[in-house]
Amino acid sequence: MGATAAEIRSAPIPAASGRVLRRRLFDYFGWGLCALAFLLLSSAMIWILVVVFLRGFSALTWNVMTHVTEGTGGGLLNAIEGTVVLAFGGILLACPPGLAAGIYLAEFDRGRLAPVIRFLSDVLVGVPSIVIGYFGYVTMVVALGWKFSVAAGSVALAIISLPYICRTTEMSLRQVPRPLREAAYALGAGDGRVTMGICVPSALPGILTGILLALAISVGETAPLIYTAGWSSYLWTGHLTNEPVGYLTYAIWAFITEPFSSAHALAYAAAFFVTFFVLVISIVARAVLDENAGWRRLRSWERRKA
Amino acid sequence: MGNLTESEVIIGVPGPDRTIQDSVNEASKSALKIAVGHLNFHYGPRQVLFDISLEIPDRKITALIGPSGCGKSTFLRTLNRMHETVNGTRAEGEVLLDGQDIFAIDVVRLRRRVGMVFQKSNPFPKSIFENVAYGLKINRMANRSAIAEIVEKSLRRAALWDEVKDHLHKSAYSLSGGQQQRLCIARALAVDPEVLLLDEPCSALDPVATAKIEDLLLDLVSSCTIVIVTHNMQQAARVADYTGFFLLGKLIEFNKTDVIFKNPAQKETEDYITGRFG
Ligand SMILES: Nc1ncnc2c1ncn2[C@@H]1O[C@H](COP(=O)(O)OP(=O)(O)OP(=O)(O)O)[C@@H](O)[C@H]1O
Ligand SMILES: [Mg+2]
Repeated sequence: MGATAAEIRSAPIPAASGRVLRRRLFDYFGWGLCALAFLLLSSAMIWILVVVFLRGFSALTWNVMTHVTEGTGGGLLNAIEGTVVLAFGGILLACPPGLAAGIYLAEFDRGRLAPVIRFLSDVLVGVPSIVIGYFGYVTMVVALGWKFSVAAGSVALAIISLPYICRTTEMSLRQVPRPLREAAYALGAGDGRVTMGICVPSALPGILTGILLALAISVGETAPLIYTAGWSSYLWTGHLTNEPVGYLTYAIWAFITEPFSSAHALAYAAAFFVTFFVLVISIVARAVLDENAGWRRLRSWERRKA
Repeated sequence: MGNLTESEVIIGVPGPDRTIQDSVNEASKSALKIAVGHLNFHYGPRQVLFDISLEIPDRKITALIGPSGCGKSTFLRTLNRMHETVNGTRAEGEVLLDGQDIFAIDVVRLRRRVGMVFQKSNPFPKSIFENVAYGLKINRMANRSAIAEIVEKSLRRAALWDEVKDHLHKSAYSLSGGQQQRLCIARALAVDPEVLLLDEPCSALDPVATAKIEDLLLDLVSSCTIVIVTHNMQQAARVADYTGFFLLGKLIEFNKTDVIFKNPAQKETEDYITGRFG
């Protein structure tokens, strides 16, 4: 008994009756709620950014970037250097096992180890980072005798990065369309070739995004480093063990509670750098992820023009 | 123990009414390329092909038709053992390529001899050149100039060369749907297969692109055996020398295309062709 298309088309458009009015009001109300929620969320974020950037900017001097810390004053060069070294060290250590585990989970999900790896990575995501710091302290700093060091700090950050890299790798590989794999199989490629030659390259933007995400997390970590990297006011001399290093998050954590304005300035500047790094990494990650899509769009546009 | 004897009985062992030797003899006698004997196929517990026996002639186009879900793709994929890339599949029976049991030869060699083109074009996210060269590279062909030569030859055979020769290093995704499908055919041709399997290669293409591919198949058949699954009755009638009609996992009828379309022996075939069901 449904109305035919012709009937619907020829039906008179109802005047703005009470029902329509109500519907419109409800519509506005809904949009209002959405806008409010957005405002609430974004204002919190904008507030944080404004505070960090305003204070950071005013504290930012050439000195801060070119000098090392002296007591509760001086600069942050040592901390900037340490953060970069620790974060990249952590990523470098986390990538081989993280990528391997992700590939294994995606491509051999019937493998006997798969549930074990999946469980472990879920647990790792859930472990509070301070527990990882404590674990690193007990095992590496004390038991292995590495003392506070780049090695211990990097390993702690690697443990934190590992599950992110593993899971994003798995997810991006799973999104490689099956027809692509089949094309390679049909040409006689073996499992390894299909995985490494076809799937991993296709999933690369996603995998890189995961690595960048882990990098951003590493740059922002404090707790695991306090117990493993220690703190140093000097530039790193290149020793992997037995030499504590500075890092930006320590400067925030330690200096904001000091009673000196020079210390506060350092904390603000450090917060600025950390936020800036994370922001830059996020933007790069987005660009990497969009690159393929953008590139393809450009190509199809070129084609239409031709 | 039970399993062992079962597989011994089933795989590569002559069926009740013919022997491997018979097929080998026939193959040499009557230009037979692929002989399928008593093929049963299971997805897990579900059987989707029932006792298929079929002989595919050399350097002819064989079309497989039938309603959706009747097992045409499954049958086609068994011919180069693509079903093995799906977990839980099981094929029983014999499939002989030039008299050789395909389950006994190395799967990489088999797939090199029996190429496949899929319903939706699926070029790799690489350049046009690299797409065609892929099969050569994985078959350890290293000589660069030889690769370039074969790439050109394959693109010519796929009637794509003139359209792409000036931008071989552009992404394959910059091509149109029909061009991509011809690229996939060129990619399959690059390793010089003896048999080309095509699973509804034109279903996503417009009539012009479809006509191009049909012409191409008619050209190719002088040098390789073609098996094509199609939903398009006219297409089967236009290009195929032989046609097989599948219904609910069974091969109902297999014969010269003329006979199938003008004078089918089975009532189901006639009903399907005249559009009474399917
Ligand atoms: N991967 C799979 N797992 C389980 N069952 C499957 C799988 N692929 C296909 N089937 C089943 O096997 C049967 C045959 O499928 P197949 O794809 O061979 O049909 P088809 O004749 O090619 O159909 P179409 O014309 O729609 O492509 C169908 O009933 C389908 O549901
Ligand atoms: Mg199909």
